[in-house]
Amino acid sequence: MKNDLILQTVTKVVVFIILLFSVSIFFGGHYSPGGGFVGGLLTAAAIVLLLLAYDIKTVAKLIPVDYKLVVATGLLISTLTVAGAMFFDVPMMTHAYQYFDIPILGHTSLHTAVLFDLGVYLVVVGVTMTIIQTIGEDE
Amino acid sequence: MSFQILLNVFLAFIWMFLKNDYGSSSFFIGYLLGLLIMLAYRRFFTSRFYLVRVWAVIKLLALFLKELVLSNISVLKHILSPTLNIKPGIFALKTELTKDWEITILANLITLTPGTLVVDVSLDRQTLYIHAMDIPEKHEAIDSIKNTFERAIMEVSR
Repeated sequence: MKNDLILQTVTKVVVFIILLFSVSIFFGGHYSPGGGFVGGLLTAAAIVLLLLAYDIKTVAKLIPVDYKLVVATGLLISTLTVAGAMFFDVPMMTHAYQYFDIPILGHTSLHTAVLFDLGVYLVVVGVTMTIIQTIGEDE
Repeated sequence: MSFQILLNVFLAFIWMFLKNDYGSSSFFIGYLLGLLIMLAYRRFFTSRFYLVRVWAVIKLLALFLKELVLSNISVLKHILSPTLNIKPGIFALKTELTKDWEITILANLITLTPGTLVVDVSLDRQTLYIHAMDIPEKHEAIDSIKNTFERAIMEVSR
């Protein structure tokens, strides 16, 4: 028997900071280093930290997600973003962007590359967590 | 504590709505005025006025920084001395703290201070097992931990 009190308490605080950092890296991909891949790996790292502090069953209760479905969703989003260009008579993988005046955020540029990156993000999280959970569940 | 901060932010927002000015300076003025009003009516709250606790947190932080510098200097002395005359060992420390975060903060403070390192917490969370670089200094270490860190953490959580 061991008392993981310190590890668990620190994890409760640190996981949120890692998740926030991963979101910031994900959105910073266009103008600064980062993007879907690194953001996805950071999110997976936060979940791995939870797995280290608690056990697999507890984390599965906390995040009731089937990671194979996450991979499928990510691939679907990316594919639809790539194929969506065909409806506007432009070659595939052509991205569109436009400046919008959103009430609270003000003058914001919205780019379809973000959707493609979201697909990448979901695939990376799903694949990493599937690998780690599959290895970890081997009794 | 959290309720008082929430009330203060709420008062600041009301000030912004009254002034029809939604900038950060207006929020700051509203926050200060709300603080004064809450200070005048502090007897209404069930817990202490929250600035006292904020001050306790700042004091804990200052104590921690001081101990961090002192600990590194003392370890530097041990490293640079030509003969190594230390007696390592592990001793137990009874703690009066109960909450998870209090014990965690105490353990981290002990780990980052001169020549002591928390190895484990007992299952009933009453005892910390501490590895000391110099066991003859054990009683001083226990006394200093009890008098400084535990009291500072209790000041925050009381």
